[in-house]
Amino acid sequence: MTVMKRVVKPRTRRAKRGLEHRAPKITENTKQCLFFYGTKTSDSVRQCLKNFYSFKKQDGKYLQKKKRYLPFEDILPIEHLSQKYDASLFCTASHTKKRPNNIILGRMYDHHLLDMVELGLENYRALAEFKNEKISAGTKPCMVFCGTQFEDVTEFRKLKNLLIDFFRGVEAQAVRLQGFEHALQFTAIEGKVLFRSYRILLKKSGTRIPRVELEEIGPSLTLSLRRNKFASEDLMKRACRQPKQLKPKKVKNINRDVFGTKLGRVHMTKQDLGKLQTRKMKGLKKETNDKKENSESSNQEASASGPVDVDQ
Amino acid sequence: RDEDQCDAYLCSLARDGIQALLTKVWDLPSEQIDNSIYVTLPKPVTKLPREKPVPKGKEITKWEQYAREKGIKRRKKGKKVWDEVLKQFVPRYGYRKILAEKEKNWVKEVPDNADPYEDQFAKAAEIKKENIAKNEYQRLRNIAKHRKLKVPNVGITGNEYASAKDLGLATHYARHATASLGKFQPDLPNEKKVKGLGKKRKHEDTTGDAEVEKKRYMAVLEKIDKPDLNLEGAVHKQIRDENVIMDLERRGGKKYGRRSKMGGRHRTKSDHRAAKLGKGYHKIKAKIKSKAKFGGTGKGGSKGNFGDMRKGAGKGK
Repeated sequence: MTVMKRVVKPRTRRAKRGLEHRAPKITENTKQCLFFYGTKTSDSVRQCLKNFYSFKKQDGKYLQKKKRYLPFEDILPIEHLSQKYDASLFCTASHTKKRPNNIILGRMYDHHLLDMVELGLENYRALAEFKNEKISAGTKPCMVFCGTQFEDVTEFRKLKNLLIDFFRGVEAQAVRLQGFEHALQFTAIEGKVLFRSYRILLKKSGTRIPRVELEEIGPSLTLSLRRNKFASEDLMKRACRQPKQLKPKKVKNINRDVFGTKLGRVHMTKQDLGKLQTRKMKGLKKETNDKKENSESSNQEASASGPVDVDQ
Repeated sequence: RDEDQCDAYLCSLARDGIQALLTKVWDLPSEQIDNSIYVTLPKPVTKLPREKPVPKGKEITKWEQYAREKGIKRRKKGKKVWDEVLKQFVPRYGYRKILAEKEKNWVKEVPDNADPYEDQFAKAAEIKKENIAKNEYQRLRNIAKHRKLKVPNVGITGNEYASAKDLGLATHYARHATASLGKFQPDLPNEKKVKGLGKKRKHEDTTGDAEVEKKRYMAVLEKIDKPDLNLEGAVHKQIRDENVIMDLERRGGKKYGRRSKMGGRHRTKSDHRAAKLGKGYHKIKAKIKSKAKFGGTGKGGSKGNFGDMRKGAGKGK
């Protein structure tokens, strides 16, 4: 329902704009992410969350107060938060004896839980530990997924989808060639995912295409998969449904031949070729005296019946 | 070290991957905007879920459907309208339109068939209000039709999203719409009383003129009558108490038990007091003493009488 179809209409322009911003659209806004802590956190997991937030500063919200939320027990408070901040992604960090250094990544559809994955953090090295120049905030990363498990194992496949969604950033149609600064690498080994973050340096090579060199900047972590709550097939299908307006329009009747010329077909109604308006050749025209004597000769030009292939 | 080797290996892996990616990217069609080359990315292949569901199309209202059938087209109206009376361009809607209307309609003719004492302005205002209400009703009806709800033709369309305050008010009025005006209406289990109903009490300013405040308080004080010494009342009381004591002594200090000899009917106030006195005789003595002190001030004449009476009582003993 559009904003104007509400029972209680917004009283100010600003309110109307706010509602329209949050309303479902054909081309959506960038997914916002919420970062918050559980009741108890450890140093490394806290730093990890802060580092993730620095990746997503432009489309992220960092909540200072500790939340007593347990996503796997009760997702409702987080859904409320998502509604309040209009955020579709969330990232929580906590540390308990049973689940040390815990990070939960999740995403929502229509402010209801879609996917959720609990990851355990090991061998964490913070952004600050790498003493070198970092990238500017908000750049889209190039993502590399290494390891056959990302294709074979369903859980890893879904995790890959979630990670892409999480770190994607703004959806872009055109990219500046100099703007490739950030690279993220996820490697799946023995049921764990290794996360590495690099800065792309483009060096001159002999050809037009530059040579890529990577310098490790960002946090480096080892994530182990703990619990998860992935969406059912039909929910995922429903969530992935795209509006008709976004589907590419099929252009009919244009095809190319071997030589690359564009061809199209023109369909005509049945014509009486005797009565066709063609170019008049004065030389071929009968004189008026001869008309009565000679029978009318019809100028028949070379023609083929039925559809005519026309060069475009 | 194994870790460093691992890192180096991963770095090289990543490098190869990124190189392959960027090679493909550099081959894409590019264009130059503002001294930098932009590359148009192809459509994404990975199916990522949307944030919110696909927006539903607009629903046709009742009027739009009718217009469609009849072939009525929308005409764009200008923002300003030429007003003959005022001889200027007046906005079609808004604050300035209302002002212009006020200027035009400073006087209203009373039509022939109308009551001469009827307020034409109020009538016009009433009609306008009704129009607005009708418009609102039709708008809500369209929305209800879209949401497939039923709307009653007659009566007030209740707001299903009424706030707690509104609901509280409704219960308050429902409660008071009884013969006893809600005084003997039993409460529902979790019913909360609504705050803010009834006359608001206006409080005086805490700051302000001290003189005014002083005057106000003095006026109040003067209105209250000075506490009268109801000496007659006190005297009667005293006499009664002494009579009771005398009775008690006559009877030999026996107070009546639960079942009196006289029977229940003849129990007087003094008898009750006697029963009480059986317990607390000392209190009376104290009372007499205090009354003597009190009798010091006030009317002198009655004081004297009082004193006499006392003596008389003592003699009687």
